[in-house]
Amino acid sequence: MLEARELRKEFGELRATDDVSVRFGKTEGERVFIVGPNGAGKTTLVNLLTGLLEPDRGEVVVHREQNGSTVERDITEMAPEKRVKAGLVRSFQIVHVFEEMTVRENVRTAALSRHEKTLSMRSRDDGHGDVERDVDDLLADFRLEGIEGEIAETLPHGDRKLLDVAMSFALDPEYLLLDEPTSGVATQEKEYVIETIVEASEAESVTTVTIEHDMDLVKEYADRLVVLHDGQVFREGDPDLLETDPDLRRVLLGVDE
Amino acid sequence: MSRFPLVEDRDGQTVVRIPLTRGLGLTPLQTVFAFLGLVGLFALPFLAGLVGLSWERLFRGILFGLAAVGLNLLLRHTELVSFGHAAFFGGGAYGVAVLAAHYNVSEGLLLLLGAVIVGTTLAVVIGYFVAGYVDIYFALLTLAFNQVLFATVFRSGFFNYNDGLQVRIGGDRPTLFFLEWTTLGYDLVLYYTTIVLMLVMLLAMWKLINSPFGRALDAIGQDRTRARFIGIPVEKYVWLSFTISGLYGAFAGGVYALLRLHVQPEPTLYVFVSGEILFMAILGGFTTLVGPLIGGIILVYLLEAARFWVEYYHALTGLVLLAIVFFMPKGIVGSLPDFNAWVAGRVREPGRLQEDVRSATAAVREGVDRATTTVRIIVFGVK
Repeated sequence: MLEARELRKEFGELRATDDVSVRFGKTEGERVFIVGPNGAGKTTLVNLLTGLLEPDRGEVVVHREQNGSTVERDITEMAPEKRVKAGLVRSFQIVHVFEEMTVRENVRTAALSRHEKTLSMRSRDDGHGDVERDVDDLLADFRLEGIEGEIAETLPHGDRKLLDVAMSFALDPEYLLLDEPTSGVATQEKEYVIETIVEASEAESVTTVTIEHDMDLVKEYADRLVVLHDGQVFREGDPDLLETDPDLRRVLLGVDE
Repeated sequence: MSRFPLVEDRDGQTVVRIPLTRGLGLTPLQTVFAFLGLVGLFALPFLAGLVGLSWERLFRGILFGLAAVGLNLLLRHTELVSFGHAAFFGGGAYGVAVLAAHYNVSEGLLLLLGAVIVGTTLAVVIGYFVAGYVDIYFALLTLAFNQVLFATVFRSGFFNYNDGLQVRIGGDRPTLFFLEWTTLGYDLVLYYTTIVLMLVMLLAMWKLINSPFGRALDAIGQDRTRARFIGIPVEKYVWLSFTISGLYGAFAGGVYALLRLHVQPEPTLYVFVSGEILFMAILGGFTTLVGPLIGGIILVYLLEAARFWVEYYHALTGLVLLAIVFFMPKGIVGSLPDFNAWVAGRVREPGRLQEDVRSATAAVREGVDRATTTVRIIVFGVK
């Protein structure tokens, strides 16, 4: 389980997250969606959890089952790359892939990192059988086999998004934080992108934390909902809240009733 | 399985490669070039005189070019522009000079080892401080460190100020392999030792840039944030590649000192030298492994020979740089594949040559038109 404990981050006068406490992965492979209006602190929360930002106060804690008891580990000070090795992986709202590499090279680079091979200077980058097998599987899972030789920057946006996520899965995450995986994707393709991610995360029982604006997708796929508003957790619970809670509609749609 | 020619499948493309080392091979055309290059390198001391070139000058070009190969590890892969690589070249050169002049070390190979240790240590120290920076900050920091070193050496009696140090032990040149040589013998033994070591270094660099580590450096260059978030310790890897990069410069500088037998700050340590090393990589083609080496040979020759041809030889090198950036951004070696394709295309359809001439004239005419319009606007204002 991944826990944010009273995380606070201020940018000048603005308190982007105001002592946010929330837990992800209460059950194995839980799908949590973070929703909220613009400026609610969603991305800041993900940045704090993954180490892109340092909190002004509060802690990031990982709970792990060990010999029948739960062990807490404070990772607030841990460097992002170390968090990745500890199973905490993220994607960005804007696609971050290695633009001049092919699709396969992108996934391979991530897989090499996961297999602790990146310090090898004498072997060939494509000469590791175990890595190549992982890459084959991932390309198949994300239906990228047909375009594995294409340079990343030439791909259509939807494929770039999938490549980005495929690279995250190459890191064998325990927790995967996805910042708007469907942003910029054509409406009719959004379902496909989310469906592909859900399939992959279910197969590996990865806990996913997804920032999403499309409420139809949230309703369909969320196990649990975390609503942020003005840097605080406004509601937390079943996705049915979207239908039943009038305050929630007011906050999300910005309408006064 | 036959060794020649080897057909291999890489990322869905079938290519013919002549294997050179485990897992790496050259295309047939590259093999021809590599063979010619090797023959050229080994015959250089004898060939150069025949065609009226100075072998010693070419040798120096090779040394600066090797430093540029090192610099190119940063430039091409981590996409960091270092303006301070003379620090390692000069560091290596002064390593040799100080050991010879102050500590009476007389064996050339030991001096060279000293050069590599001194230059690489400098790279470790400087790299530690610059690894976290990118873009202009990285460039300026490397330049600043370079300038600090230069000013220190320039002002220090230990390094004998601007006059520099002799690489002589009691008036004698160093031994090589613990033997004393005649002037020509010394230069030849030094040259062939260097060439053999350089080939090993090129092969090592080639393996490195095709290794997982090389791919990690590419990742850092293309998207630092993403590299970090796939678990690559970015600063540590930049630091390591910076050190390796400096090692190449240190070795080259050490050989330079052994060749010249006299080390001065200006030709080895000055920031202009850093700029030249950078230019060599771009001139030869920084997207290739051996491009910087070719660039080094050409630039050193150009810089020294041009002063006999034209009055404003510094302007000439500037013009060459402009021409490269405008017309050949991939550099000389980097443009070879394009040039090849162009020649092949014209051999197939000679008619298209006319088109080329026509489009070139059109481009020139358009350029002149635009220039005259601009001048007219500057002089007479907009109508």
